Amino acid sequence: MLEYRTQGYNGYSVKYSPFFDSRLAVAASANFGLVGNGRVYILGLTPNGIVAEKWFDTQDSLFDTTWSEAHENQLLAASGDGSVKLFDITLSQFPIQSWEEHAREVFAVHWNLVAKDSFLSSSWDGTVKIWNPNASQSLITLPTHSCTYSAAFSPHSPSILSSVSSDSHLRIFDLRTPASACNHLTLNIPIHTPPKPRMGAAAPVGVPPSEALTHDWNKYRDTIVATAGVDRLIRTFDIRAPAAGPVAVLPGHEYAVRRVTWSPHLSDVLLSASYDMTCRVWTDGSAMGAGTIKQENMLQQDPMVLGGGREMGKMVRHTEFATGVDWCLFGAEGWCASTGWDERVMVWDCRAIMH
Amino acid sequence: MANQTGRGQQAQERLSQVSSHLSGSSSQKGKQALLEKNPDDIVITCALRTPITRGGKGGFKNTASADLLHGAFTALIRRSGIDPSLVEDIAVGTVLAPGGGATEFRAAALAAGFPVTTSCKSLNRQCSSGLQACVDIANAIKAGMIEIGIGAGAESMSSQYGPQAVTEFSELLEGHKEAANCKVPMGVLSEKMAKAKGIPRSEQDKFAASSFQKAVRAQQQGLFDEEIAPLTVKWTDPKTDEEKTITVAKDDGVREGITAESLGKIRPAFSKDGSIHAGNASQISDGAAAVLLMKRSTAQRLGQPIIGKFVQASVVGVPPLLMGVGPAAAIPVVLQKTGLGKNDVDIYEINEAFASQCLYCINELGLDMEKVNPKGGAIAFGHPLGVTGARQVSTLLTELKRTGKKVGVTSMCIGTGMGMAAVWVAE
Repeated sequence: MLEYRTQGYNGYSVKYSPFFDSRLAVAASANFGLVGNGRVYILGLTPNGIVAEKWFDTQDSLFDTTWSEAHENQLLAASGDGSVKLFDITLSQFPIQSWEEHAREVFAVHWNLVAKDSFLSSSWDGTVKIWNPNASQSLITLPTHSCTYSAAFSPHSPSILSSVSSDSHLRIFDLRTPASACNHLTLNIPIHTPPKPRMGAAAPVGVPPSEALTHDWNKYRDTIVATAGVDRLIRTFDIRAPAAGPVAVLPGHEYAVRRVTWSPHLSDVLLSASYDMTCRVWTDGSAMGAGTIKQENMLQQDPMVLGGGREMGKMVRHTEFATGVDWCLFGAEGWCASTGWDERVMVWDCRAIMH
Repeated sequence: MANQTGRGQQAQERLSQVSSHLSGSSSQKGKQALLEKNPDDIVITCALRTPITRGGKGGFKNTASADLLHGAFTALIRRSGIDPSLVEDIAVGTVLAPGGGATEFRAAALAAGFPVTTSCKSLNRQCSSGLQACVDIANAIKAGMIEIGIGAGAESMSSQYGPQAVTEFSELLEGHKEAANCKVPMGVLSEKMAKAKGIPRSEQDKFAASSFQKAVRAQQQGLFDEEIAPLTVKWTDPKTDEEKTITVAKDDGVREGITAESLGKIRPAFSKDGSIHAGNASQISDGAAAVLLMKRSTAQRLGQPIIGKFVQASVVGVPPLLMGVGPAAAIPVVLQKTGLGKNDVDIYEINEAFASQCLYCINELGLDMEKVNPKGGAIAFGHPLGVTGARQVSTLLTELKRTGKKVGVTSMCIGTGMGMAAVWVAE
């Protein structure tokens, strides 16, 4: 396990470069992101441990970062002052572009993996905005009318994107649909839909809505999205069956989940980071042959458990809220990086904690 | 300066956003979630009972069940200070009353001072009728059908216990094996169950004796005084046939000096080589109990003192011949629904229909004996059938409050093969 201290700055998000297996970006904020400066770190993984290759300071807290898919030296940062900033690590000090449209904290930025000339941002102001790095204004604004903690493009289609927000809904937008009254919104899935009742277990009733904080598209199954948030549960949905409720429900985290991310290597594996200070590895139970684990005593089982998934391991080295986690795209499957409010970035192999 | 103020406010907003992530998990289950106070909680603002007296001999032997209920109602109105016209519905559990008691209970409510606008029903789920009444009212409040209601129970086993309480089975029912099992008398099937489950008489007597001892201790320390509403009734002295007016303020079935050894001398009641007898089974009794329920927001608006809240109930079926296992089947379900572990519960009130079945359930669930029926149970002070479920609420909440504990479960087995359980929190 490699470790780097973001001294004076509490981590909010970590992302592996899609171009280099040894480069990380970390968005961090002074004073836990409540008030004060932000900093985005560019970290290099070297034989001598993690070194800061560069950092950029900002006036307000930073809550998320994402690498450009088009340009190996560029990355975006989501700022508390409502701006989205593009940095070039070959230049010093200032962003090469800053888009100031959001009325409140920007909490997510994500680059389009297919159409590499666009990216998106989502904000507490209740909107998702689509941008072109060469345009000075946003291309499209999609309202969610609810504090939107997370938004992402589908990795399988250039025009499909999704968001989750504090109203407990997963929204799917398709930019190919006409921009009519529904603003490209094609699906609005209530995340708190209880799983279907099963034999031998009490049906979960009255699952109340709760804020959704994060979600991610599966990298192999193009209709599967994982969500998680304040109710501590990770759920997966199949957007082909939006009314069917979750496909899998994975309880285990003891506090709200801040980040989920699917493995780039294995279709059933995901990582999560939570306010309970742990990062956990999960299988959603969909892998061939995984089957349903035998339930010894149905009465003792949490009625929300669904889909045969399970926690495969947890990383407990963080000593404050774990806020960001990401997979390395290269090399042996299992390498990942995490960050948290303990001012630490850790690079570790999740195969070492799996059981 | 203005900028700084804006900064401070922004920091405050960000902080509250993060803290809502940590605390705003209303879907959270388990003990911590249970202790949260929400405006839509169903709360109890008053729970009381009449004394429970021995059937055919005790203080209420000449008192009709509707009169006992009347006594519980008037005490409830007086103690809680609730405006009777605000009570929208009353459910009364009773088992033996002919016609379900529907007519005389409505009359008792009117006589107790409830206006004609307060509706009243009776219901019968055998030994859990009192609990079912409370749950029905709680659910009606939860669903928005009513705002304030009373769950109650009333039973005069002195006057209404006997073979007439069960209808003759038709040929159709007699011809169906499991259906016919429903009319096997409780004592007989419990005897069989004790044998089948291997619960020796010595264990049963020990359990029964400890129920008496706990009840005696509780009575001496005055631990029942808070929940009991004394009742003045007419009583005929069996020796002189003289009618007297007496005030009953104590459970009169509680006997001192009972030990496992003294119980060991009693002849079995249902078979020669049996293990069940009058001393290790619940007593035949008379009594009534009432529980006032409403939403927390209503209680706060009316200034009603909140003594506890109703969280969740469960009801399950079991084979009719094994009706005694009811609590062992119902308690895990209610714990699962509420996300509680068995050790999260501070007190279990499990009705002692028979020492054998209660003991079986405690062992089957692996409960800590210290947590079960700390003030004794039906073996010591009686089991007026329809009352017990409502009686347990006041017994549980007063004991939780006295000991500074929080979470309680009430449960009982139910004739014809069922079990019911409910989770309560004292406040």
